[in-house]
Amino acid sequence: MAAVSHDVTPATTRPKGPRRGVLGILFAPVTLLIILFLAPLVIMIQMSVVRFPPVTDSGYTLGHYTDVLTNDLNRTIALNTAVIATTSMVIMLVIAIPLAYYMAFKAKRWEIFMLLALVLADELAPVVKIYAWQTILGRNGIVNWLIPGPPVEWLLYSRFAVILTLTTTYITYTTIPIYAAMKAIEPSVFEAAVDLGASAWQQTKKILIPLAAPGIFIALILVYIPMLTDFVTSDIVGGAGGGTYMMGQRVRDLILQGANWGAGAALNFIMLGISGLLALVAYRLAKLNRMEP
Amino acid sequence: MARGVDRGEGGLVARAVRAPAAPASATTAPRVTRRTLATWSWRAFLAFVFLVLFGPVVILIAFAFNDSTVLAFPIEGFTTRWFGEVFDDTLLRKALTNSVLIACVVTVVCVVLGTLAAFGLTRFRFRGRAVVGGLVSAPLVLPWLIIGIAALMAYAALDVDLSLGTVIATQIVCTFPLVTAIVAAQLFRFQRVQEEAAIDLGCSRIQVLRYVIMPHIGPALAAAAIFAFAWSFNNYEISLFTIGFDQTFPIWVYSSVRNPDHTAVVNAISTLISVVQVGLIALAVWLLRARGGGVHAIAGSEMAQGALKT
Repeated sequence: MAAVSHDVTPATTRPKGPRRGVLGILFAPVTLLIILFLAPLVIMIQMSVVRFPPVTDSGYTLGHYTDVLTNDLNRTIALNTAVIATTSMVIMLVIAIPLAYYMAFKAKRWEIFMLLALVLADELAPVVKIYAWQTILGRNGIVNWLIPGPPVEWLLYSRFAVILTLTTTYITYTTIPIYAAMKAIEPSVFEAAVDLGASAWQQTKKILIPLAAPGIFIALILVYIPMLTDFVTSDIVGGAGGGTYMMGQRVRDLILQGANWGAGAALNFIMLGISGLLALVAYRLAKLNRMEP
Repeated sequence: MARGVDRGEGGLVARAVRAPAAPASATTAPRVTRRTLATWSWRAFLAFVFLVLFGPVVILIAFAFNDSTVLAFPIEGFTTRWFGEVFDDTLLRKALTNSVLIACVVTVVCVVLGTLAAFGLTRFRFRGRAVVGGLVSAPLVLPWLIIGIAALMAYAALDVDLSLGTVIATQIVCTFPLVTAIVAAQLFRFQRVQEEAAIDLGCSRIQVLRYVIMPHIGPALAAAAIFAFAWSFNNYEISLFTIGFDQTFPIWVYSSVRNPDHTAVVNAISTLISVVQVGLIALAVWLLRARGGGVHAIAGSEMAQGALKT
């Protein structure tokens, strides 16, 4: 009884003080977000609907959107991007799920070192890492040096190179959320499954994957969405032909080289919509799949 | 009921007795080989993963000491002259100074802003909390390309000249939510009751902050600062769109990759930076270990982006 009344008293007396407190605490971060994050997004949307951006009083039009959406080149690029990002994502999940499983249940005292190795792999300057692949896969690179015969040309400046490099760049962000979700699984669940005669495959399919699902969806938010807009990787190891030209490169080129702000802003807004929608769906799925303890 | 318990105990005892009694029976032999096979396939898998992750960096370091301007195997000979050239390159020096300057300012501002937001979101219930939470986590979910382009257009529309200042401003709003995520995760775990107890025992607000809150979130703050620094230093996307005519280190590397005369210098400076980053992470781990249990703050902060609860 006493504990209950103790809980109630602060709740009834507090509201006035903290309300002023929270205004003071959140004022600076929220104001900055509105000025430096929300306002630019609004300005970008405006640029996508004015006739001659950046001149804002040149009349409004949806022409940039119809131009962008009916352009065949854009469709090819979108397809390229989807194929490359999806393939990389699947490969990463195939690697990250066993890796996270090993770290969570089998690594024991190596667990923390593996975790730190993953963190380090991510922190090493990304541009430098991507560039390092160039020296490995190139005509005179280590792979062609090790393989006898004429140099293999498709290793670098190809879809293969882009997918390989994307996979190594984003593997940390794929593995760690899945690992965190698996960490929450009680190991005795597996013992129970073994006692009931479940095979390794059944344990994976019926226990591990469903319980790790929230982590997998978080990984999708953290990895799949940035990959859709990645332009550095394909710039450095992608091919000169069209096969590796990705959406991020297209938008960057429209803005910085073509100075075509209308199309750039329209494409960017479409990508913003897709990113937001994917993030929302994945987040809902992550929440739905979370087991309440 | 009783029979069930009985059977369970009986089974345990039987297993315990049987196991040492028949160690080399024919039925256990295949199981042992299967287990060693599993162990070895795990080892091969892990070796493959970490080789792919760190192999490129090792090769990069090897080339940094290679006495040749051509990036090709086999390695020609040992030299340290590329490291000398790093310090002679004025453009590179300028880019490095810019990157360090930007990262320092961004880190300090982000730690302050991020911690404020974390306190506001975890310690208070108020109307619109979900909206504020969503606004804070949005820059972590949206790709930097989109944010960078929007920032470029906004600066142009408002006639703000691009400079290091615009890079810092846009990097701050993309980085402080990371600090918020890390610190908020720590604050969730920490009982509000302890603050109240301190107040009941006569602590002032400053004393509560100094003796109750800081020891709890200290490791998280240190981890957050290191990650904010690394994010800012490594950032290419936002810097590219908001910097104008200056260069940061990632922009310099990127523009040098296509220049064959530069590759040896790129290798050398990349080696130096990798060493610094390994040192920073080691320092963080050591600092956090000394404070106890904070290593998970580092690990947690990597995924904290997605874990921001609203």
